[in-house]
Amino acid sequence: MRWATRRHCHVDRAACAWLIRRFLDSEAEFVFVDDPDELPTDATAFDMRGVELSHHGGECSFETFLRRYELVDPVLWEIAKVVHEADLADERYDAPEAPGLDVFLRGLSMVRDDEQLLALSGPLFDGLYEYRKRALLLGREPA
Amino acid sequence: MPLMARSRVKWVLLAYRLPREPSTPRSALWRKLRRLGAAQVLDGLAALPLDARNREQLEWIADEVVEAGGEATIWVGELASARQERELAARMAEAVAEEYSAVIADAAAARADAPGQRRRTLGRLRRELRRIRARDFFLPPERERARQAVEELAMLVEEPVA
Repeated sequence: MRWATRRHCHVDRAACAWLIRRFLDSEAEFVFVDDPDELPTDATAFDMRGVELSHHGGECSFETFLRRYELVDPVLWEIAKVVHEADLADERYDAPEAPGLDVFLRGLSMVRDDEQLLALSGPLFDGLYEYRKRALLLGREPA
Repeated sequence: MPLMARSRVKWVLLAYRLPREPSTPRSALWRKLRRLGAAQVLDGLAALPLDARNREQLEWIADEVVEAGGEATIWVGELASARQERELAARMAEAVAEEYSAVIADAAAARADAPGQRRRTLGRLRRELRRIRARDFFLPPERERARQAVEELAMLVEEPVA
């Protein structure tokens, strides 16, 4: 399936792309556009103004994905808090990882194009998922 | 305003109209604009220096205004008058300078506190400083003074603070 989002990805789009590839569509192909008018008709758009899979009610696109696709995995909701704070920093959640994740991805986006950014940030989110999963199972931070 | 003296500032603007009632979306909007450090140019017109992050944040706010039954458009532009641009930048710098000054005063007051309290205050002030710096675009001298005040407080606190 084809998925489309805005060029110059940052944390929310990188997290959504990871979520899509890992949980929704392992063969996902991503298209990056500058303007909603350039959206290919055969692609599902996300994290863009005026589309369904985007920000709603103060939530970021990653949270919208979890709701729309009824992904109830509690580990994903833990990651959602981090992505929300890295993207919006509105202090709705206590997510101390968020400022760090924001800086890493912002810096990465300065030296890599979107394709490479997604390729490099994917394992980072895999790791965050694994860490949060172990934390949830252990009931404390894993070492 | 060292950055701004030479080149003109490009701005991203949010023009919006929200129903008076209910008031919850209005106050949520106000809080968000304030957190971003936006200047209220007029009632229904908020401005931020143009960069990718500010533009994106205003776009999400615009969508929320529309979802709440209002109207919103995003504009990119510059002030025709250099003097008015300086005045707007100075007003925004002054707003964050006041916030820095509050941090400086709190850091000074905390020197007299008991060690435990001092450490907690240090943690709070560091977080507060991070919030203010995220909406500081014109770098008033208080920015550096606030950083120093918090660093000096940190030197009185032996244990590292999260």
